[in-house]
Amino acid sequence: MKRIMQIWLAALLATTLLPSVWAADPNVVRLATTTSTANTGLLDYLLPKFEAKCACKVHVIAVGTGKALKLGEDGNVDVMLVHARPSEDAFVAAGHGIDRHDVMYNDFILIGPNNDPAKIRGGKDVLVAMKKIADAKWKFVSRGDDSGTDQMEKGYWKALGIKPEGAWYSSAGQGMGEVLMISGEMRAYTLSDRGTYISYRDKVGLPILLEGDSRMFNPYGIIAVNPKKYPDANYNGAKALTDWIISAEGQKLIGDFKVGGERLFTPSAK
Amino acid sequence: MPLLAVKKLRKSYGERLLLDIDALTFARGASYLLTGDNGSGKTTLLRILAGLEQAETGTFLFNGVRYDSAADLARLAPTVLYVHQHCYLFHTSVAANIEYGLKLSGVSCSERKKLVQAEMDWAGVAHLADVPTHRLSGGEKQRVALARARVLKPQLLLLDEPTANLDDEAREQVVMLIQQMREARNCVVIATHDREMTAMEGAVHLRLEGASLHVS
Amino acid sequence: MTLADAARHAFELLLGGDATLWGIIWISLRVSCLAMLVATPFAVVLGFVLATFTFPGRRALIVVLQTMLALPTVVVGLLLYLILSRQGPLGEWHWLFTQEAMVLGQAVLAFPILAAMTLSGVQGVDARAAETARTLGATPLRAALTVLMEARFAVMVAIASGSGRVLSEIGCAMMVGGNIAGVTRNITTAIALETSKGEFAQGIALGTVLVALALAVNFAIAMLQGKGEVR
Repeated sequence: MKRIMQIWLAALLATTLLPSVWAADPNVVRLATTTSTANTGLLDYLLPKFEAKCACKVHVIAVGTGKALKLGEDGNVDVMLVHARPSEDAFVAAGHGIDRHDVMYNDFILIGPNNDPAKIRGGKDVLVAMKKIADAKWKFVSRGDDSGTDQMEKGYWKALGIKPEGAWYSSAGQGMGEVLMISGEMRAYTLSDRGTYISYRDKVGLPILLEGDSRMFNPYGIIAVNPKKYPDANYNGAKALTDWIISAEGQKLIGDFKVGGERLFTPSAK
Repeated sequence: MPLLAVKKLRKSYGERLLLDIDALTFARGASYLLTGDNGSGKTTLLRILAGLEQAETGTFLFNGVRYDSAADLARLAPTVLYVHQHCYLFHTSVAANIEYGLKLSGVSCSERKKLVQAEMDWAGVAHLADVPTHRLSGGEKQRVALARARVLKPQLLLLDEPTANLDDEAREQVVMLIQQMREARNCVVIATHDREMTAMEGAVHLRLEGASLHVS
Repeated sequence: MTLADAARHAFELLLGGDATLWGIIWISLRVSCLAMLVATPFAVVLGFVLATFTFPGRRALIVVLQTMLALPTVVVGLLLYLILSRQGPLGEWHWLFTQEAMVLGQAVLAFPILAAMTLSGVQGVDARAAETARTLGATPLRAALTVLMEARFAVMVAIASGSGRVLSEIGCAMMVGGNIAGVTRNITTAIALETSKGEFAQGIALGTVLVALALAVNFAIAMLQGKGEVR
């Protein structure tokens, strides 16, 4: 029995004292962001450069915009990088966040099966295209997770006065990457942000059918959690990240980020 | 002074009165054979003396010190040592079993090894030292149980049907053990059916009939 | 990429010592090991107590334990998330999205398995074991430990089962850990992420390691049982 206790103690010490992969860093900045920024690889490219400068570590939690803002509202993260302007403005107005800045933009696109049964290819009006899909009930996959993309899609349906439901409309409740994969498998239409689409293009096999409508503009913003509301949030870290990402250096890096030779995000900080 | 003096012992199981003993003494250096039909209460009596079961009434004087309850008597272990019928051996090796009680009494490691070896030689199980106990025959198990008890030098040894496994070597061992206990001025009480045991010389016969004990 | 290609790529990643991959594996090992180390003493003691003593509420406690066995990992994850969130009662610990939270979650998941199997193992020990220990001079505590040792076969199987559950669970780790790269991304959450990105090679590599780990644990237990020569 004594031997067992000795082994137990040794194992306990070994696992607690041997470091986790990254040594516990006192200065951790928790960033909640969307799956579209995370899955494109932008943050893997961008953040190490920031971390080197600030001698801190950024922990990235990738969820939908809705959840990211909720995490900030509950004080479980320090800063958010999201893309749903109305929600962002409401968030700041309610006092949950401060220091909102534009960071970058890309745009949304409609993708779908190559044979395009709804005949939306080459169109210039996103609402017209969505109406064609709904009227003929062609398969459509929705994010369904209150993300920025999801909110944009719901905005289109609302503008059309259509409530999408039925066997043709799948609400996946998952991130952009997953939804792209699902759409590829189902050969369905879906609304995607360009950045994630480009990263996944080879795996998904669905062409872009409609783009360029000004209503498909997709701006990203960064917001820090309000330190008045959560004094023990890492506001300094959030501010450092915000300042860096809107600085000339951060903005240039965003513009330089390419996948397959294509730029995914356009820097837009003022 | 007797080693153990028992007075007014009563034990019932539900409605049935199992034991009703007015007075019973065990003397140092003596050996006792407890006989009686099946279900007559032999095991119960031994277990009460070992503190494993509680009697309704009864006082016990061990070496002149008074003990009233089963919990009290249990604290006398292993000075008072009870061995089950169909003895129970721990799921380790023979040597580890014999060593068990020694470890508890704080004997040093080297001393323990010596004592255990001597005991295994006495019981004739030295060749089985590292064998796991579930692989032993009935007789071998019994001999290990006796060795495990003997190494602790109990003053009062309570054996419940020790020769029930019909191993001649085990029976010889028990007889030898009784002899040695007598010589050491210790006491052994054996519950038994075995004719060869009951024919043994020099032992006091205690017969349980009804709920009373008859001494001869 | 075909399945065969993905499999080949998977082994290249593993054997090439890909740092990210092995970092993920280490996190799984560390978190699950710690969770087991933390949960086992308490669970084994509880299992022993339930098997040995009667007290008011014992029956109810056993029912609760057995119900916990069937709890889905996401439910445990959700409950812990609510508790550890800044809004929750333990928000001040700042444990959400850390390895500590994952360890806690997995300890909660392992606990009922360990306790229930210890309970049944100790119940299976002959009643004479405790008596024999007492008659040889053991104190009640010592006799209890001896009984536990007699049940060690069952306890070892309990540990193997518990390890299996925590190594392979994802629902809880995802919710309270947040799948943060290099911090709370373990094998299972990484598999989920990589497969969602269509990176099947990574998924296969990690899945293979997970199966190998499960085998290793069970093999180690079998070796211990063989050495102890318990039936």
